[in-house]
This record gives sequence, structure tokens and C-alpha cells, in this order.
Amino acid sequence: MRRITLAAVAIAALCGHANATVCAGTTPGLAKFYSDAWGIDPSSTRFQPAERTSITAANVGRLRLKWVYGLSTDAPRSYPLVTEDTIFIGDSGNGLVALDRQSGCTRWTFKHEGSIGSAILHEGKNGSTTLFFTDRTEGIFALNARDGTLRWKRAPPGDNPVPLLSGTPLIHDGTMFVPLSSFEVGLAANPFYGCCTTSGGMAAIKTSNGDGLWYRRTIPTLPQVTGRHYWFVQNQAPSGAPAWAAPTFDAKRGLLYFGTGQNYSRPTTTTSDSIFALDASDGSIRWRHQFTSGDAYNTSCDLSERHPNCPKPMGPDLDFGAPPILAHTLDGRELLLAGEKSGAVYALNPDDGSVVWTHRAGRGGALGGVHWGMAVNEALGLLFVPVSDIVAGHLTGKGEARPGLFALDLASGALRWSHLRTARCSDRTCSPGFSAAIVAGPDLVFAGSLDGKLEAIDARSGKLLWSYDSWKDYPSTVSGKPAKGGAFDAHGPMLAGDQLIVSSGYGSFYQRGGNALLVFELSGNKTP
Amino acid sequence: MSADLVLAGRGRRLVATLIDVLLVPALAIFIMLVTGVLEHAADWSATARPMLRIFALGVVSYLILNIWLLWKRGQTVGKAMMGIAIVSTKSGVRAAFWRLTIRALFFPTLYLIVWPWAAAFPLIDQLLIFGRRRRCGHDYVCGTSVIRRG
Repeated sequence: MRRITLAAVAIAALCGHANATVCAGTTPGLAKFYSDAWGIDPSSTRFQPAERTSITAANVGRLRLKWVYGLSTDAPRSYPLVTEDTIFIGDSGNGLVALDRQSGCTRWTFKHEGSIGSAILHEGKNGSTTLFFTDRTEGIFALNARDGTLRWKRAPPGDNPVPLLSGTPLIHDGTMFVPLSSFEVGLAANPFYGCCTTSGGMAAIKTSNGDGLWYRRTIPTLPQVTGRHYWFVQNQAPSGAPAWAAPTFDAKRGLLYFGTGQNYSRPTTTTSDSIFALDASDGSIRWRHQFTSGDAYNTSCDLSERHPNCPKPMGPDLDFGAPPILAHTLDGRELLLAGEKSGAVYALNPDDGSVVWTHRAGRGGALGGVHWGMAVNEALGLLFVPVSDIVAGHLTGKGEARPGLFALDLASGALRWSHLRTARCSDRTCSPGFSAAIVAGPDLVFAGSLDGKLEAIDARSGKLLWSYDSWKDYPSTVSGKPAKGGAFDAHGPMLAGDQLIVSSGYGSFYQRGGNALLVFELSGNKTP
Repeated sequence: MSADLVLAGRGRRLVATLIDVLLVPALAIFIMLVTGVLEHAADWSATARPMLRIFALGVVSYLILNIWLLWKRGQTVGKAMMGIAIVSTKSGVRAAFWRLTIRALFFPTLYLIVWPWAAAFPLIDQLLIFGRRRRCGHDYVCGTSVIRRG
């Protein structure tokens, strides 16, 4: 018997076998959801009210790590959806998993080997709940939330032959709005590639079956040949202006807002590095506002500015990587707040896109400045601006880096407080900035730093309330797969009831990778 | 093998291989440039199978560069430039074309073996050249030797 056991252990070790804690057959509770969009709500406020979180400045010191799930990727890109008893999250390489909130055991797994790159969305209809996620290249998937079976899937909408689904779609009343970017930004690194022809876009599809409703290119004109290199290879333009991030929905005006990135080739367009407002019913453009003109860049420039596909002159790559936030000031005015990788924050009039105020929070650069997402607390009249200011080679912004979190007055853009961070070491992986999106509770803000620290900051004063260092190994996890903490980046933390859920590790851009899904809980409390 | 045949030196064989290794992608790139077969976004979509196109470019380039010389003289371009040729170990004359074809495919095929523990196969194949008979693994399998051709 002992020999058989030893053989089994040896085989398991050789095969890298790991046993997840499984609670198969248990059905996820679907009565209460803690978010409705990537931005938590359709306005992209990244704010959790007291009805959705019991974690406050007074009790945050009682947060304890409850369990860890070892993900299958070292650059997790999925944002969880939480119900009263279940966490749904993309575990790239494994699939979409439904985890019990208390124990972390796996209720069901939708097996999928691709890269799940979105928040998990939900929609209830006729007593049945459907979950949605996007694979970065394969398209959009709809699952039965009860058991994880596939309802439908479809390829990315639009006319781009190399689409990239980076931003999370947004659902409203049976329609899914899908932001579209492009892999062409990377293909251009091949000097024999004729850069560039694809356009970013926004599409609307039916949530019932994935059928297309409308599609809007961010560059309306089709590309033309603008020259040649190496005698044969055709240079083409215009191109780019991808929609990297989730859109924001304005039910009152019937508008859909989103930001775009730079052009990939010259001549440039007036639609890159812009905020768009589309009519949600047909995709027609109500207004758009460009904030950086003449910005043309692609990854060939990272190899050499003399690369034949690097636009000349090379632009600064100042996308809008974060969704715009629709928020109310204390006196009831509505503003659309857009944070740019340049480090600038703009407050716009949502009716016409005119600028109400501007504030420069950081020096910016190709990786932010403002990178993934800001948050607001309307009751306090504050906008919270995370600033990365990581060194981005020749695309680093000018001036002194100001990595940290800044609170601005919603109405005026005036600085109320700042929480500046310092590096723990001089290595690139120790960049102290906040690149990941943040999330706000009633009186505090949670932000994860590129150097692996998760912090709770007082919303009124900017004082550090709680901190957790995730730069460690987690040999024992509920998935049976050893986990490692790394940089906090991408989607950032989620607040749900008495729990704080966040993925640590993001191995892109030379940052420290990791695969730890961390679930914290207030000690001594029950989940509401 | 006939006593008057001189085995090719290891250095010449290495240089000949390097020449072939450089010429094949160079021709593949030239074909790619002229035909534009991987120049546009549509060529890189999943349905266009870009990896298959790259593989095909490599195979076509290899065949263009080598098939005539291999067929007629038992040489690749690199071997012709270095004055060496592949012969049948048994007869000492040009090996049969089917043997040369198997020999040419042998080494790349080793890399297609996906088991991690098989990663040493290509290395073992090459290290055998340091034996007294200066024959790689693929020479033993195909019954060939590489000789000087004056």
C-alpha cells in the first residue's frame, strides 16, 4: 500500500498535478450581485456604497487574508463578479471558475484554454442568469450562471482581421457594447509588415444571441497606401485609435462614452487620444474631443525609432486607458471625468464634451499617468486619481515622477490631498506607482501598487489606514496550485460585502508576475 | 566506404550548415517581400493561419535553394560552397535521393517532438559527429557520410 501511495505522489509530482478544492454540484447563489459593470456600475464610478460593502475606515484594520487561489497565468487580466456566496473569475489557461466565497472551493469550471481578459458580466432574464466574458482574441462567451454551460459564443464584432478585446463590454437592457482594439500595434514590430490599416471601434450586439446591432469605427476613412519601404512593403494610414477600456453608459442622455488610443501610422486622425460620445441606439457620434493630436506610435518604436514602421516623428503614446466616469458634483452638476496616460485629468460637460477643468496629477508616460481607472465618491465630492508614473523608456513623461493617489475636488479639480509613494528598491519591479484601477468605499479607497502592496487610504484625509505586502509565495492554495504575489496592475481590487478580492501579479511590461487571487475578509464578521 | 574518400572536417560541416541556416530565411524573407504574403493585417488573422504560412515559406525556400543540388550532386548550397558532399557510406557514391530527403527532414523533425524529456535528441544527434567516423545521428539513420569533394 505504501508503495502505491509513494508511486501516486511521484506521478503527481512529475505531472505537476494539483488538486483544487472542489464543491461540485453546489449551485451558485444568484440573488445578489455586487457589481454591474467593469466600473462596478454603468457610470464607471468604481464606487461601492455601504449597501455593497461593510469595509470602512473604522474596521479596515480587521481585514485578514482568508484564502488564496493559485491562478494559471502570471498576468491575470480578469475582474471578478461576486454574488452572495460565489466569486466568478477568469482563470486564464483553465477557464472561468465559480468559487465559493467562504472556502474558495470550485463550484464549477467552464473549461477554456484562451486568455480571459475582461470583468465577468451578468444579466438576468426570465428567471435565468447569463454570465458574459471576453477572450482577448477569440470573442465573446455567454454562459449559464447556474452550471457554467455555454449558451453562445461569437467572434469579435467589426471589420478588424486582428481584433483585440481588451476593454470589458458593458450591458444595458439587452444590448452589449463591445470596445475594440487591435493587435496591429504589435504586428508593426515586424519590419516586413505593412503598417497599418486597422481602426479601433465600438460595437453593439444582442445579449440574447450575440447578433450584431451596429458597429462604429473610430476612424471612418479607409486606409490608403502612403509610401513603401524595402522597395515592396506598403506603408498605410490612417490606423489605430483603439478603444482599450470599458465604455460608460449615460441613461439620461442615451449616450455611450469611451476613450481612444493613439494612431499607429501617419498621417494621424482627429479621432485618436479622444473621448467619444455615441448615441447608444445607433452608434452615431454625438460629439468627440481630441486631447492629444498628432500622436502616432506602435511597438516597432520600442525596437528602434529608425524602424521602418515607427512613425516619424514618433508620438508620445498617450491613450485614454481608463473609462471616463460620469459623476455628480455636490451641487448636482454632471461631469464626465477622463484620466489620460499623460497624467492629466479632464472634467468635461457630458452634453457637448467641452472642458470644464483640467488638472495634471503626474508626469505621465506610455504606461501612465492615469493607466487603468480612477474612482469617485460623490457624497464627499472627490475624484480619486491613481498615478503610475513608471519609467517607460523613451516614452517617459517629462518632469518629476509623482507616483501615488490624489484626491481632487469634483467641482473644481483642485487638489484636496495626495498620498505619495516611495520605491522599496531601485529595480524596475519596485516602481511604487498605482497603475491598476482603484475602488472606493464609503470612506476609504483601495489601491494596489506596482511594487505589490495593497493599501487602504482614508478618503477624507489621504492617510494610510492599512497595508498588505503581497510579494511573497503562497505555497498552500485552494486551487492546489502554488501561488506567488507580484505587481498589482490592470483591473485592481473588488469590494463585496465584508470581502476584498484582488489578483496579485502582472508579468507584462517587465513587471513582477504572479498568480495569486487573494481574498481578504473582515475578521469576526459575517458576509452580508 | 572507399578508402580514397576523405571525410569532411567538422569545421567545414559547421560552416556549411551555418550558410544553409542563413540562406533559407534570407530567401524566405525575399519571397515574403515580393509576394506580400504576410504583409497585411488579414494575413495575420487566425483564419489565415500565419504560422502555417511562415512554415511553408521556410520549406519552399529550402527546396528552392537545395533541391537541384541535392538531387544532382548530393549537396546543399552550403555544402557546395564548402566543397563537401553527402555520399552513401556503403557505396561511396551519391546517396539515393530518397535517403537525402529523409536526411534533410530528420533534424527538423527532431524539434517537432514535443515531450520535454526529448529535448536532448537534437543535441545527441549533433554530438555524435565527434565520434571517429564523424557521422551525426541522421547520417547513421540514413546510411550517409559527408566527404570532401575536391
